Amino acid sequence: MREKILYLLALAAFVILARDIYVIARFPPEMNQGNAFKIIFFHVPSWVAAGTAVATALISSVLFLITKSFKFDATAVAATEVGVAFLTVGLVTGSLWARPIWGIWWTWDERLTTTLVLWLLYGGYLMFRHAIEEPTQRATFSAVLSIFAFIGVPIDYFSIRWWRTQHPSPVFFSSTGSFPHDWGMVMGWNIMAFLMLTVVFVAIRLEQEQAQREIDSLRRMAHAL
Amino acid sequence: MHWFSHVLFLAQASPDDVVREIARLQRNFQFLGYGFWAAWAVLIVFVLTMVSRERRLKREISSLKAMLEERQKR
Repeated sequence: MREKILYLLALAAFVILARDIYVIARFPPEMNQGNAFKIIFFHVPSWVAAGTAVATALISSVLFLITKSFKFDATAVAATEVGVAFLTVGLVTGSLWARPIWGIWWTWDERLTTTLVLWLLYGGYLMFRHAIEEPTQRATFSAVLSIFAFIGVPIDYFSIRWWRTQHPSPVFFSSTGSFPHDWGMVMGWNIMAFLMLTVVFVAIRLEQEQAQREIDSLRRMAHAL
Repeated sequence: MHWFSHVLFLAQASPDDVVREIARLQRNFQFLGYGFWAAWAVLIVFVLTMVSRERRLKREISSLKAMLEERQKR
């Protein structure tokens, strides 16, 4: 039953995204940026998905430190891995937008730099887990690192409000930006589809973490025999 | 006002300007395509990584279980 729900969610997300590509292609080009502006329809949802995933990792890490239950550690690593995947989508699509609009692939602007630092921190978290063998120690240190890494999320989010950046000013939740209603609807659908994918990916990775724990216990049994 | 500014622009533009503008719009459309493909490609790579991990985990579980059964028989 659980698997069926996950497959249905993934299928629904795929249908929404495929339909939206068709709808987005039919929108007129933006006045100043032309069609490249429409990359925002994949760029922003990927950040929302990544933000949700790393927030889940933060909550799970805090809960692990409180309860010492390994299911929270598994949730944290599953969510972080999905978060890193969506952060990668955000960075790549941002760079592909910057090339035709700014004429460069990358600049050391506050938003871009804090995002790259965030990507490195969470990537480091995933690599760090491989360095510690002992499960309790690994989970504890990883939880602390995950909480530390999350400090970068609000800095990254507010960077375009706190500093004058080359990155465009905020379009949503801001008095300076504006977005046509029908474009906003499509953006909303895309955000929902990305969030559905986040749920599916985290659930699948969580099952894999549980399978990994089963393997660890089977190995311990094999050593004991 | 919006269409009027476009008409005004076209009236002032030379053929070279129009060609340049068309090239700019085409280039932007090309990069929109790259953006969409890149987003899908990253997600597809992530899904393929998960699928291969799933297979490895299942293989490992079944081989460990088989090994444990054999050891218990002895």
